[in-house]
Amino acid sequence: MLFHYLDLSWRSFKRTPTVSVLMVLAIAIGIGVTMTSLSVYYMMAKDPIPSKSKQLHHVQLQTMDDGNTYWSKDDVPFQVTYQDAMNLLNANLPYERTAMYKSGFSVHLDNDQIKPFKEPTRLASKDIFQMFNLQFLYGGAWTQQQQDDVAPVVVISKRINDKLFNGENSVGRTLYLDDMRVQVVGIIEDWDISVKFYDLNNGSFKPSEGIFMPITMGLANEIFTWGNTNGWKNESDRTFSDLLVSESLWLQFWVELENAQEKADFEQFLMNYMIQQQSLGRFNRDKLSANVFNVMELMEYRGVVKEDNKIMVTLSFMFLAVCVANILSLLLAKFLRRAPEVGVRRALGASKWQVFYQHLVEVSLLGLFGGLLGIVIAQLGLWGVRASNGSYNTIANMDLNMLLAAPSIAIVACIIAGLYPAWLVCRTTPAVYLKTQ
Amino acid sequence: MLTMNKINKIYQTDMVQTHALRDFDLQVNEGEFIAVTGPSGSGKTTFLNIAGMLEPFSSGQYLLDGVDVGRLNDNQCADLRNQKIGYIFQGFNLIPDLNLYENIEVPLRYRGIKAAERKRRVEQRLEQVGLASRAKHLPQQLSGGQQQRVAIARALAGEPRFLLADEPTGNLDSLMARQVMELLEQINREGATIVMVTHDSELARRAPRNIQVVDGQLADFTLYQGNPAAAVGA
Repeated sequence: MLFHYLDLSWRSFKRTPTVSVLMVLAIAIGIGVTMTSLSVYYMMAKDPIPSKSKQLHHVQLQTMDDGNTYWSKDDVPFQVTYQDAMNLLNANLPYERTAMYKSGFSVHLDNDQIKPFKEPTRLASKDIFQMFNLQFLYGGAWTQQQQDDVAPVVVISKRINDKLFNGENSVGRTLYLDDMRVQVVGIIEDWDISVKFYDLNNGSFKPSEGIFMPITMGLANEIFTWGNTNGWKNESDRTFSDLLVSESLWLQFWVELENAQEKADFEQFLMNYMIQQQSLGRFNRDKLSANVFNVMELMEYRGVVKEDNKIMVTLSFMFLAVCVANILSLLLAKFLRRAPEVGVRRALGASKWQVFYQHLVEVSLLGLFGGLLGIVIAQLGLWGVRASNGSYNTIANMDLNMLLAAPSIAIVACIIAGLYPAWLVCRTTPAVYLKTQ
Repeated sequence: MLTMNKINKIYQTDMVQTHALRDFDLQVNEGEFIAVTGPSGSGKTTFLNIAGMLEPFSSGQYLLDGVDVGRLNDNQCADLRNQKIGYIFQGFNLIPDLNLYENIEVPLRYRGIKAAERKRRVEQRLEQVGLASRAKHLPQQLSGGQQQRVAIARALAGEPRFLLADEPTGNLDSLMARQVMELLEQINREGATIVMVTHDSELARRAPRNIQVVDGQLADFTLYQGNPAAAVGA
C-alpha cells in the first residue's frame, strides 16, 4: 500500500499545487536555516579522529608559580614550555608521543616554474604520523636517526605535492623553505579535519599544515613559532636561545595512552616529573597539577563549540517550529476539505489506521521534498557563512550525515505537523459526508 | 443474513434528543431484494448507515451474517464492511482523482488483494456494467448514469453478499434510472442480497419486498406481487 499511498500523495500535490508548494517552501526554509546552523555545530562538535580520540591525550602542566593566573577554566596553561616538551619527549616511557609547534615558510623550488608561496609548517617529532593516522601516499616518516641528526627533511601533503611536483612521487626531490634546502621523504594524504584539535591555540578551524619537519630542525635553525606564545614570568625572550630556557609556553604535547591504567601511570609519571623539576627551582607552587585530556575532553575543555553556536541551533529549531505550525494549519485546511473522500474510503472498507497512514505518507512526501529543497537552501546558507568568515571554511559544510539528516528532520517535522490533521480526518464519521458529496 | 433487534439510534445535542430509529426490528434473508421507502427524515438513511456500519447505534442488537456488530471495534467493522458489504450512493461518490479502473480497485486494495486478481475483478465488473472501454476515463468525463454504473461496479468488485443502495437513481433521469435498476435486478438474480432506499414508489414496486420506515420505526411490510418491469414503464 505504501506505493499506492505515495501515488495518491503525488496526485494530491498536483490537485492543490499552490498549497503544496507553499508547504514545501515553508519546510524547506525551516530546514535550510536549521541545517545551516546545525551543520556548523555538528562539524564543530564531531569527533575529528574517531578511531583514536580516546587514545590520544593532550598534556598540560601547571608550570606557573603560585600567585600567577591563566585564562583557562582551571588556571592550567594550554601549552607547554620547550624544556618540558623536550623532557617529556626524551623520557624513558613506553608510549608514543610528540611535541610540536606551528611555524611557516616561503616555499619555492630552484626554478622559475613555481611561484613561491607561504605555507604554514608543523614542526614535530616523528611519532606524529603514526599517532594521528596520517596516511602516506609515497615514502614515509623521517627516521629517529634523521631527527636526532637534524637532517633537512620534510614530509609534505598531497596538496603541496600537487602544487610543487604535479602529484608525482617526489620522494628524494628537494624544495626550499625560505633559504633552507630540504629533501622530501614522504607525501601524505591531505590532513582534512573539521577542527584542528591537535593545536587549538592558533585558530580551532584553520586548515592543517601542508609541510611537516622534524622539531629538531626548528631548534637548530632557530625557527620561531607562528603560533601564540604565552608567558607569565618576567624574563628575557630576545633570542631564540632565551625562548628555549624560558617559562614561555608555545608547544603542544601529545601522548598515546591505550587504556586507563596507562593514563594513570602517565599521570603519576607527570607528578613525579613536576616534583623533580621543583628541586631544580621550577614549579614553585604548593599544589601540583596537570591535565591529560583525550581529544573529546580537550574539545569540551577548550570550548570549541561556543555558546553562541548552541544558541543559534536552538533559535533555528524554534524557527523550524514556527514553519511546522504554519504547515499544520495548511494541512488542517487541506485534509479537512478531503473529508468527503475519506468518508467514501471508509465506507469502502478503509480502517481509521489506513486513512491515518495514507495521510502520514502524504506529509512524509511533503517533508522529503521540503528536505531536499532545504539542502539547497542550507548550501546557500553555508556558502554565506564561509564567505563572511574564512576561518569557518572547514566547518561550514554538510557531510553525508548532515545530508541524510536534512530530509529526515524535514520528514519528522512534517509528520509532527501532520499528526493532528491526519488524526482529525481519520476520525470523521463517514456517514456525515456520503450524502453531501 | 441481516437481523436487527430493537435497534435505537438517538442523536444527542446539548438541548435536544432526536430518535432517528426506535425499536427497529428487521430480518433480511439471503438473496432478497428489499426496497425501503418512507418520507424524508423518517430514518431510512440512518437505517442504511447502521446496516453498513457507517455509524454506531445507541442500543439493540444487530447481527450481520451471524456476527454481533455491536461487539466489534472500528477496525473490525471496517474489515467486515469491506468483506461483506457493497455500497451504492445517490451521489455516486466516485473519487475524482482516480480513473474508473482505480475507483473500482479501491475496496480491493483495502482488502489486500494481489494486483493480478484485482485486475481480473475490475475488468470483469467494468465489462459487466458496459464501461470496459472507458477504464482510463476520469469520473467527470462520464454521464451521471455511467458514473452510477461505475459505482455499482465498485460495490460489486469485492463480491459482497450484501449490497446497500441509498437512492441509487436519485440523481438520474428516467432512462438511466431504468438501466441502473435493471442492473441491480440482474445482480440480485445472480445471488446478491440488496437493500435499496428510495423515494421513488414506482421503483420500489419493482423490488420483490418493500418496507416502509416512518418516524424511525418499521411501519409496514408489502410484498409486491406484480410484474416488476411494468412498474417503471419498461
